[in-house]
Formats: sequence, C-alpha cells, structure tokens
Amino acid sequence: MSQPVTPRRATRSSAAYPASPTSPSGSRPKSTPRRQPVPTAAAKEEEGEHERSTVDVLLEALPGRRAQATDLLRLLAPAPALPLLLHGGAATGKTRALLLALRHVRPRPLRVAYAALRSLPSPRALFASLLTQLSPPSSSSASSRLRIPDKPSDFVAALRDALAGLSAQGEAVYLVFDNLEVVRSWDKGGQLLALLLHLYDLLRFPQVVLVYVSSATPDAYYSMTGSIEPNHIYFPDYTVDEVRDILMRVHPKPKLYSSFLSVALKPLFRVTRRVDELVAALEPLFRRYCEPLGDLKAVPDESIKRRLFEHIQPHLAVALNETFSVPTRTSVDECKDRSSGGKARSKSQFGSRDGLPTELEFHMSVSAKYLLLSAFLASRNPATLDAALFDSTGGSDNHRRKRKSSQASMNMKDTMAEEMLLKGPGTFPLERLLAIFQCITSVSEDYLGDVECPDSMMNGSGMTGLMPDVLLQLSTLCNSNFLSKSRSCPLEGSARYRSNIDEDLALKVARSVSFPLSKYIYRR
Amino acid sequence: MVAAVSVPSQAQTVLRGRLCDPAFVHSALRSSPDTNYSKLKYLVASSVSEACNNSVLLLGPRGCGKAAVVDMVLDDLRKEHPDAISVIRLNGMLHNDDNCAMKEIARQLCLEHQLSFSKMASSDDNTEFMIDMLRECGLAHKTILFVLEEFDLFAQGKQRLLYSLLDAMQSLTSQAVVIGVSCRLDADQLLEKRVRSRFSHRKLLFISPSLDDIQLLVEHLLILAKDSGLPAKYITDYNSRLTSIFSDKKFKGCLNSLMDADATTSNILRFLFRAVSYMDVESGFPSIESFLKALSSMQRQPKMDSLQDLSILELYILVCMHRLEDKEQSSYNFTSIMKEYRSIQDAYKTSDKYASTVCFRAFEHLLDRELISFGDNRGRNQALEYRPVKLLISSRELAQSLKLNTTCPVVLQKLFDRERYM
Repeated sequence: MSQPVTPRRATRSSAAYPASPTSPSGSRPKSTPRRQPVPTAAAKEEEGEHERSTVDVLLEALPGRRAQATDLLRLLAPAPALPLLLHGGAATGKTRALLLALRHVRPRPLRVAYAALRSLPSPRALFASLLTQLSPPSSSSASSRLRIPDKPSDFVAALRDALAGLSAQGEAVYLVFDNLEVVRSWDKGGQLLALLLHLYDLLRFPQVVLVYVSSATPDAYYSMTGSIEPNHIYFPDYTVDEVRDILMRVHPKPKLYSSFLSVALKPLFRVTRRVDELVAALEPLFRRYCEPLGDLKAVPDESIKRRLFEHIQPHLAVALNETFSVPTRTSVDECKDRSSGGKARSKSQFGSRDGLPTELEFHMSVSAKYLLLSAFLASRNPATLDAALFDSTGGSDNHRRKRKSSQASMNMKDTMAEEMLLKGPGTFPLERLLAIFQCITSVSEDYLGDVECPDSMMNGSGMTGLMPDVLLQLSTLCNSNFLSKSRSCPLEGSARYRSNIDEDLALKVARSVSFPLSKYIYRR
Repeated sequence: MVAAVSVPSQAQTVLRGRLCDPAFVHSALRSSPDTNYSKLKYLVASSVSEACNNSVLLLGPRGCGKAAVVDMVLDDLRKEHPDAISVIRLNGMLHNDDNCAMKEIARQLCLEHQLSFSKMASSDDNTEFMIDMLRECGLAHKTILFVLEEFDLFAQGKQRLLYSLLDAMQSLTSQAVVIGVSCRLDADQLLEKRVRSRFSHRKLLFISPSLDDIQLLVEHLLILAKDSGLPAKYITDYNSRLTSIFSDKKFKGCLNSLMDADATTSNILRFLFRAVSYMDVESGFPSIESFLKALSSMQRQPKMDSLQDLSILELYILVCMHRLEDKEQSSYNFTSIMKEYRSIQDAYKTSDKYASTVCFRAFEHLLDRELISFGDNRGRNQALEYRPVKLLISSRELAQSLKLNTTCPVVLQKLFDRERYM
C-alpha cells in the first residue's frame, strides 16, 4: 500500500507567524542548534515584563495548551531542576512548546543544547552534536581538534569538562533530547537510552537541566538501574474546537473559512485527529469550496452557504476515503482548465459511488503490466489450478461448472479463505511466472491487434519478441516493491517471488490493458 | 537584569535547591543512630585507621539513597583524614568493558596523584600500574577507596576487573576498600566462585522509609530555618501554614496514596518538587491544592490518556480487534480486521465506512501510539497488512475509554457490549 505523505509541519507555524522576528526555530528543519539568544530589541522589550505576562505571551503562541505551558514554565526554571519528560502523540506541539518556553523562561538560560535524535544516525553523531553545541564559541575555529568520543565513558567525561567550563558562570544550561523513542531502535540502543536517562546522576551539576521529549509513553523508559525518574508532562491531542482555533488563527478569509470548517472539519475529525493530516486534507477542499464564488471577499449568507455546501458534498465524500496524495498532472491540468467538460472529467475521476479513482495513477509499460498481472495470479491462485485456467486456447471459463457444494466442503472453503487472509500472498518460482506470462500474452495478442509497430519483424513475433526484457522488467518491479523476493526453496534452490499488490490495483492494471482478470482469479 | 525577585520566588528557589541536593536530603541521617550511614562510616573509617582491606556491598531498590550515603561518608572521611584517602569512582554502565575500566582507574589515579596519563597505554600496562599504585599507597599508609556503582553490571561476562581488584587487595602491603552499590538484591550471587571467595560478605540493605520517616523527611525538607536568607516574618508565616497543611487529613491521604505506589525517597522528592513548583507565587504561601495537583499529575495512566486521544475510526479498529480476540482467533492481521470491519459496516450501515488506505493509516497511528503491536519478530519480509498483530490494552481499559469518550457513536458501544451476550 502506498505510504501516506504528511506535509512539512513548517506550513502551520510559518503560516501562523509570517513576519514575527522571534519566530521559533522549533518548526522543521530543526537541525540548527540553539545558541545563546542574542540580546536584540526583542529581548530588551521583554525585560520589563512581569511573570504573568510572559505566561500570556506564551499562551498566545500555543493555543489550547494552557496547562502544559504553565507546567513547563514552573518546572523548567529556575535551576536546579529535576529532569523533565514531555510525552504525547505525534503533532501535539511538544517540541514547539518546549522551545518557546525556553525562550520565555526567567532567568534566561545560558545555553540550550538541542539534540534532534531523529535526524542523528548514530550515537557518535549525537555525541558530536552535543559537544559542539556546548563548546565555547571562541574555540569554534579549533573544532577540528575536538576529538569525537566513541565510547559512552569518554563522552560523559568530555561532557563533564564542557559543562564545567560553562557552569562556572552560574547560569543554567539546558540539554534537550528530542524524539527519545528512536533510540530504542538504534544499534545498542538500550544501553544508550539507559545512559541518557541516567545523565542526571552521572553529571551531578546543579546548573544543568535535562529535558526529554518523546512520543512514546513513559512506560517505555522504566529501567532497573538506579536512575532518577523524570517529571512527566502530558500533551493530549487537540479537541475539535482547539483544532478549529488553530486553523482559524491566521487565515485571510476568516468568515468564509469558518463556514467551510463548520462543514468539513467534523467529518474529517472522525477519521484522524492529527493536525498535520487535517491541514493536508483541508487545503484542496477549501479551494474547491471557493470555486463557485465569484467574489472571494464576500461574506457568505445562508443561501450562499447552502449552495457551497452542496457543491462541496461529493468532494468531501471522496476526501474522506483517501489519504493525502500528490495531485497528478491530469488533475492539476483539470483544475486550471475548468471550462472544457470539467464535470464529465471529474465524474470519471471520482468513478464509482464509493469515490475511488478507477484509473491507474502512474505509467507502466505494457509488458510490465502483463508481468504484474501474471505475478498477481501466480500469488493468488494455487499452482494446481494453472493447468485448468491456462490451456493453450486460453479458454478459462469452460471448466467453471457450478457444483452443488456440501456442508463439509463449504466449511473447508471457509477455513481456507481464512488461511488465505492470514498468510497473505503465496510465493511462486520464476518458471511458473514466466509460464503464466506467456499464456496471458499469447491470449491477449488478439486484443493488441491495433497496436502499431513500425518494425515488421516485431509484428510477426508479437509478444515473444519481448522475452529477453522480461527479466529486466522483473528486477524493476522488484525494486519498486511490486514484487518481493522471498527465501529460495531449500530443496530446489531456485528463487521464489511474491506479489505485493492488492486486488484493487491489479484490477486497475487489468482494466488499463483490457485484460479480463476476474475470469482468472480463483475465488472460493 | 531583572527586577528584584519577590520573596516567594526566593523561597521557591531555596526549596528547589534543597530538593535537588542529595546531601541535604539525607543529612538527617547523620544524627540518627544505627543507620546504614553510621555502619558504613564505621566500617570505612576503621579500615582506614587500622590500615586493612575491606569490601562491602550496598543493596536496595532504586531511589533509597545508597549513592547519597556513600557520598556523605566520603565527604566526612575527607574532612577527618584529608590526606589518607583517594577515591576512584567507576560506573557499571559506562565502564562495562574491562579494558575501559582499567583505563579509567589509571586515569583517575593519575589525576589524584598529579601524574601524567598516557592514553596509549595498553590494558596490561594499566593493570600493572594499578597494582604498583596500590603497593605504593599501602606503603605510604594511604587508602584507596573504589566505589563501583551498578555493581551487577560489572558482574557480567568474565569479571576480570573484579577479580584483579579483589586479588590485588589480598597482598599485605595494599590498603583498599571496595564499596559496591547495586539495585539487584542478589548482586553477590552473581559473582564467580573465585571472586566471591575474595569478597567479604558484608552487605548493607537499604529499604524504603516508613510513613513516619517520610513525615519527618517532608518536614525536614520543607520547613524553612531561620537562617535561610529570607525575611523572618515570612518564614514564621510560611512555617505555620505548612504545619497546618501537614496536619490536614487530605495531605495525609496524599502521602498514603503516594506511598502505596512507590515508597522510595526519590518518588517523594519528585512529588515535593512538583508541589513546590506549583506554589502560587502571588499569594506566596503553600496550599493544599498545590500538593493535590502535584499528586494528580504524578498519577496519570498513560494508556488511558492515549485511548482518549483516538479518532472514531481508530476506535472502530480497536473494537474490531477486540471482537476478533473474543471470537478466539489466536492470530489475526490487518486483512482479517478489515474483513470484520466491513461485515460490521454491512450489518449496521453506519456512516463510518472508509476505504482501505484510510483504515491502514489509522492502523499505523495505533502502532505508533503502541496500543497495538506486531506479534512476530520476523522482520521485513512480509507486508505490514499480513503480519499478525495483538492488542496491548486490556478489555477493561477499552471499555472504560469508550464510556469516557463523549463523541463515541452509540453503535460502537453496542458492538463492544454485544459480544458479552453472544
């Protein structure tokens, strides 16, 4: 199945703060380490603020996060502080809230070292990133001399030295570890995780505050060794109203957008509650919503709202049934070119009542399509059926005589159907695939009569002329994950393959080459 | 830089500093007799003064103050015998490897005695150096104290370091004390026979404090003394309010429920830290509400919280999985879940019928939240739709979350309950 693509989170926060000078570096890309905040005009204006208004400023920037923001401000400063663990689902604003809070915390921290564990490939890279962020800026020219430690013990010693140099000045240093859960899947990740959670005891610096951000719950980090458990702050997912507030925040057409959201948000919210996925789904829908309106600045009244609602209804049904997909060239062209038969084309794009597109969204060569279909049939049908289905005349439906099935055979069919669901597609050797491929293409030669070939020799040999390319096509299909190679059979030693596509895609491919696939699929 | 810090903020800073300082937390132990602190101190002090070798293990669950006690003893001894002690600290997590540990020992010895340390020295050189240093220090009547934290991690593998250390202590001229600290109560059973025979079987057991001890500890930590650097009137007001809170029934209930879960000192410290941080800076005095709020934020149930955050489709998938488990299907995967889902939609004709891709995305969200997981370790060969999955939440948790969810459709609740009557 295709992986859903989630858009960059930068769209939300950078859209919310287009011109703010203190826009947080918390939105992606997060690779820039945070050095000491430079005392600019922004800092000077914040100096005279009372504690109450820093909380307000923070809450302005973090909608719906009142409790978490106050907790953060209270637990982070002043040093010394016990370590802190922020946990919650994805896209709940943990990193952003933390980095904003670190900006507003009083007294100002001396240094914030941020380790984005998701973008670091190995423990050594983590050590390097932290040590470079903590080394004094004067020695940045000599950073080439800084030897990156390999072992944890060397790292802790180097970290201690770096922190000793910094904390002599008496202000707090914050070490932030983002996406702590990815460490579990690293090589020797368990030891490194224990080390990171144990840093508070190992370092024993009162001026150092450790903060961990994780999307896994704290039960993933309980360990037997004597580390101190951090304080937890939980970030729940946003409710519908909070999501609506977030989306309405900076939108150029608030009234129109609010009427759109009152129609579109609740149904989409039943499918997913993650704000990034909702934004991705709502953007194209809003464009469709505004289509019938001539003047976008108009404030919609009831009749206009009803009209827009009727217009958006079918599109909404389609949007509910698809994950975010990159718009293909045909649909983009269609958007631009509205006048010429747009309605007819949109109907064909939406296809059946269920709203699933029936056309193949990508391009494949004809021989690759036939190879894919033969792989699908080889995985799906048991090998014993091949003789019946693919005889030389290609006639497949001569043998389908309906027999009265007894109860026992029906039960057996049910259990076999269950087994098929559980085990997934079967494997087949290469010879079987090629045999089925030849049978199918020999049958379909009649259908390809109208394919023009400039080369007369090709016309004579037909599909068999493509045989040497089949193995190349096979490796292409394997690389695109339509087929996968399984373990070879220990007795025969030949390679076995398995098809990865589901029935919908196979039907689409078959339809595009006008191949009657359903006649060949073995249905129990 | 900033305007004058208010008195309550100062008080908060003082209290937080106290809570994060293990020496202050356990300083009450110095005065009380017959604690592990006094026993350890007596042991080490007598070894130092009588110039003999010794070894001891401190065992106890985490957060009971073992490392703090060791630090206190070492501080005291450094004050009493300033020149007769040198301390080498090793940690089982960092110095697991024997070569690494030897290098660290050599490095710390060089640091203590102002010798230059060469990083290129091999492991044998380091071992020889350590043995020589032991002999030299013994002749000079200087005791070397080895503190081995996470002692059980040193006992993995071949235990070469432990053997060489304990063996070196057997010679007449050396004066060394080995203090092992571990969370495993059976750490001495992990030792090999030859190591165990060289180890004196002294163990100090640390247990969690009782309720009375905890009361005393809380008072010791939170009551401000006269010389805390704050105005005297504030201190008296603060102390009186605090004592009234301590005698409040709700506070006692708080402490009881905290101790029911985890009675170790570090848990109490976390609770007090949170309560102190929640102290209202405007009114300036602690209140019972901050303690109760700290308790509730420490007693969250993460899985129930995650269940409240799910969308309707994700709840459908969980209920389908639950129904499959109730039907006694030993293993099922995403395709079987989809089959169940479609049969439910056909039977009840709800408005929540979605395509396979959307359901698969919801399935992946559930995997990310670790509410379900794959049942096999077989790796990447199979597509995700065909790998067996299992629920990681109990049916009671699912039932409770369905009840608590206000937007949950009635059909879902019915589907969940109906299986009970099947």
